[in-house]
Amino acid sequence: MINFSTRRGWKSIPYFGLTYAMLIGVSLILMFPLFFALSLALQGPTAAPTLIPTNFETLDWGVFGAVFQQQPILSRWIVNSFVVASAVTVGVVLTSSLFAYALAYLNFPGQAFLLFVALGTLMVPFEATLISNYLFISEVGWKDSYQGLIVPFLASGFGVFLMRQYFLTLPKELYDAALVDGCGRLRYLWSILLPLSRPALATLAVYTFLGTWNQFYWPLLVTNDPEWRTTQVGITIFSNFEYAVFNTQMAATLIVMLPTLILLLLGQRQLVRGLTAGALKG
Amino acid sequence: MATEQIAQAQQHIATHRALPLFVRPRIRDLGRALLYASPALVIFFMFTYFPFVRAIYLSLHITNPAGEARRFVGLQNYARILGLDPNSTVNFVPYIAESFKFAVLVVPAGIVIAIALAMLATVRVRGIEIFRTIFTSSIAISLASSGVIWALIYNPSTRATRWLVDLLGLQQPSLLANEATALIAVAVMSVWSGIGFNFIITLAGIQAIPQDLYESAAIDGANRWSAFRRITLPLLSPTLLFLLVINTIGSLQAFTQFHLLIPEKTPNVYVYATYREFWYNNRYGFASAMSLVLFVMLLILTIVQYRLANRRVHYQ
Repeated sequence: MINFSTRRGWKSIPYFGLTYAMLIGVSLILMFPLFFALSLALQGPTAAPTLIPTNFETLDWGVFGAVFQQQPILSRWIVNSFVVASAVTVGVVLTSSLFAYALAYLNFPGQAFLLFVALGTLMVPFEATLISNYLFISEVGWKDSYQGLIVPFLASGFGVFLMRQYFLTLPKELYDAALVDGCGRLRYLWSILLPLSRPALATLAVYTFLGTWNQFYWPLLVTNDPEWRTTQVGITIFSNFEYAVFNTQMAATLIVMLPTLILLLLGQRQLVRGLTAGALKG
Repeated sequence: MATEQIAQAQQHIATHRALPLFVRPRIRDLGRALLYASPALVIFFMFTYFPFVRAIYLSLHITNPAGEARRFVGLQNYARILGLDPNSTVNFVPYIAESFKFAVLVVPAGIVIAIALAMLATVRVRGIEIFRTIFTSSIAISLASSGVIWALIYNPSTRATRWLVDLLGLQQPSLLANEATALIAVAVMSVWSGIGFNFIITLAGIQAIPQDLYESAAIDGANRWSAFRRITLPLLSPTLLFLLVINTIGSLQAFTQFHLLIPEKTPNVYVYATYREFWYNNRYGFASAMSLVLFVMLLILTIVQYRLANRRVHYQ
C-alpha cells in the first residue's frame, strides 16, 4: 500500500509509531492465553493464582523441570507423540510419493479412477468412519499400541494430490532420458525425483507432523492405559487429579506446545504452503 | 556395473518385444502402478472405504455392545435422529441446530478478525515478518492445548473472567456453567484457535491482488478506505467465501473444545451428542447413523466449496 503513503505522507514518524503500537497491541491480545498459561505455570502450586504474578521475584521457573518429576509419565507421552508423529510423517511421505509417481509418470488404463480413489478419501469426514475404525482397532487388539495410533494414518489423499501436482511440474524428458540410460524406475524416484521435490516433501512433512502431533479425538478413543496416551490427551487428564495442579498442567501444556511452535518458526513457509493447498481439499 | 546396465537394458527390450505392440506398455504399467499405489490403497480401503461401508451397514441395524449388527431396522435410526419417527420422542435436530448456532457464532467473527489482521499485516514496516508469525502462531497450538488453557481462563479459581461473570450478573461463577454464555465462551476460544489459519489464508488472498490496481486507484484520488471497499473486498471475496465454507465445516465437526470445556450434562452440539451415543451408550448402529447424517451435511458444504473453488480459478 506504499502508493497511498507517499501521497499522504503516511510514512511520517507518527504513522510508524501508531502502526507499531497497533501491531504490538494486537500481538499482546492474541498472545494473552499463552501469557496466561505462563503466568499460572510460574506461580507455584497455588489453588488461587492471580492473573499477573504478584511477586516477580518468587517466580517458580523450576516448574518446567519439576513437572517431569511430579508427572514422570509426561516424558513417556512426549516419546509416544514423537514416535507416532514421526512414523506417520515418514509413512505418508513414502506412500504418497509412490502413489503420485504412478499417477504422474506411468500411463495405464484406469489412471483417472486411481486418482479418484485417492481424492475420494477427502470427501469422507473422519467422523463418518470413526466408529467402524474404533471397532476394527478393538477387534484386532490394537488398542493401547503404536499400531493403533499410527497405521490408520499412513496414507493421505491430500499427500497423494500434493505430490502428484508437484511431480507434474517437473520435466518428463528427464524421466525418459534416465530410463533410456538404464536407470530403474524406483531408482529414478528415489535418486532423482524425490531430491528434486524437496519443497513439496517438506510441505507435506511439516503439515503431516503438525496435524498428527496435535491429534486428539483418535488417541482419546484408542488409548486407555496412561502409558499409551499421547501428549494431547495427557495434558487434558491432569485436571483429574485431586489437588489443584494449575502450575504443572500449564507447564506441561507449554512444553508439549514447543515442538509445533518450533516447527512453525522453522518451517513457516512450508506449513503455509501446505495449509493453502490443504485448504483446497475440503 | 556398466555391463550389468546393458544386460538390464537388453532384457528390458526383450521383454517388451514379447508382448503385442498396443498393450505392451500400458498393461505393464498398470501392474506397476498398482504396485506403487498399493501401500496407500490398502490404507485407503482399510481405514476409509471399508469403514464407511460398514458404518452404512451398522446404521441400518440395532447393534449389541460388541458392535455387531443384531436386528435390521431399515431407516429407523435416521428417522429418529431427524425426529421423524412417530413411535418415538427421540429427536436430535436440536443438537444439529445447536451446531449451526455455534458455527454462526464462530465463523463470521473469525473471518472479520482475519481480514483486520491481514490488512494490518500488509503495512510495510521493519519487522513485519515477526508480527505475521505471531498472528499465525495459533496454527501450531493444538485444540487440546488451547482447550486446557481456556478451561482455566474460564475457571473461577483463576479469576481471569470472574469480572465478566459479575458484570453480566450470572448465577454460576463460570461462563461455561451458565447456559446463556456457555456456547459463546466455547465460540470465543474456537475463534482464537482459528485465527492463525484464517489470517494466513486471507493474507495470501490480499497479497495476490495486483498492486497496480491500488496504484491507479491512488492516482484517481481514492483514499485507503474506499480502496479497501472497492478493490480489496471484491477481489478477496472468493477467498472469503472459501473461508466461510471451510470454517463452517470445521465448526460443525468441532469436538475437542466441547469435550474439554463443557460439563457433561449441559446441552451440547451434534458431534458431541454422537460421541455420547457411541462412547457412553455403546449404541454403535445409532451413532453410525448420526455420523452419516453429519457426512451428508458436510458433503453438501464440500460440493458448495468445490463450486466456489472453481469460480476462484476463473477470477485469476
